[in-house]
Amino acid sequence: MRDNIYVRLGLPVLLVCIVSAAGLAMTYSFTKGPIEAQAREAEQKSLTACLPEAKTFEKIADASMLAKASTAAGDVTVDGLFRAVDGTGATVGAGLLVGSRGYGGPIRMAVGVDRNGKVVGVTIVSMNETPGLGSKVVDDKTFLPRFKGLASADEARKVDTITGATKSSRGVRKGVEAALAAFTAIGGVEGVSAK
Amino acid sequence: MKQFVAVLKNGLSLENPLTVLMIGLCSTLAVSAKFEGSLFMGIAVIFVLVMSNVLISAVRKFTPDEVRIPIFIVIIAAFVTIVDLVLKGYFPSVYSFLGVWIPLIVVNCIVLGRAEAFAYHNGVMLSIADGIGMGLGYTLIIAGLGAFRELFGSGSLVFLGNTLVSFGPAYRGPNILLLFPGAFLLFGFIVAGSRALNRRLTARKEAM
Repeated sequence: MRDNIYVRLGLPVLLVCIVSAAGLAMTYSFTKGPIEAQAREAEQKSLTACLPEAKTFEKIADASMLAKASTAAGDVTVDGLFRAVDGTGATVGAGLLVGSRGYGGPIRMAVGVDRNGKVVGVTIVSMNETPGLGSKVVDDKTFLPRFKGLASADEARKVDTITGATKSSRGVRKGVEAALAAFTAIGGVEGVSAK
Repeated sequence: MKQFVAVLKNGLSLENPLTVLMIGLCSTLAVSAKFEGSLFMGIAVIFVLVMSNVLISAVRKFTPDEVRIPIFIVIIAAFVTIVDLVLKGYFPSVYSFLGVWIPLIVVNCIVLGRAEAFAYHNGVMLSIADGIGMGLGYTLIIAGLGAFRELFGSGSLVFLGNTLVSFGPAYRGPNILLLFPGAFLLFGFIVAGSRALNRRLTARKEAM
């Protein structure tokens, strides 16, 4: 019989692939829960940190609203819109998860906006900025509070950046600008509380 | 057993992947800005290296020469993905620092290099020794580099949220240490130091 090259070479590769895939499927099913839990927890934690008044954050799933927000945000991505609800069930504002470009990759952050459309707080969810330089946007405790109380993208644009972390702080600033623009685009707090 | 120890030691000194073989440098320079991250990177590499070495060595008799590289890559990629998923689920802070460098272990020359140069030609036990030795050699250098860069670059050493050493707020480290050129320069000194050490080791061996 002629030596079949496809079987002789292909079979071992196929077998290895099948075994690897099975192993990966198993690992995936084990880690799926924790991974999702971590992501949700990180999201809720950063939302609560930027809007402490709210008790829970309800995710807004309305597609037309998300589309409007993402158009207004431009090249900044809008990863989530949340209705911030206090203990009594009243809407106290909105939480926005946005991702903008920093120096070392995307900076994902949460921006909390109150009933009057003013920024209450900004927190960084994840980033990959240079430790010691770009990471000053978090380490410099005076930077993120600079956005507090701003009500429009134009106001946010005037916030000073940090020396040595220009690109990173510009990234954060752009994220806040986009978040405010998106908040206006979806109709402010009325738009958020309308179901 | 004697051979096991000899192979293990080889990875740490005379054939250290970073300072002698000069492979896997990319990730070393990129993630060694922080001690914690570089240590976990080292652990991840040790895990992948040992597991893939074991598996590749175990199936080496059934692996046709012509398709060995695809088989190595699949095995390595499987273990890297396992590390990736586990870190993401249980150590999110470490995962966010290492980011893309975890999936990139797949193409880390150390892992593929050892599969090709060692595990494919040696038994399972020796391949384990080689994996541990090479992995520790990598971890030693990258964690040392990370500790030095973090301590002198940003003024404090943080591990799992605890500050181990701090120079106080008045200390302003040279920024270059935290950037890639600093890592490169520092790495040069480490290579110089280890070469001097290795020369002495070889000389002693020959004298015996």
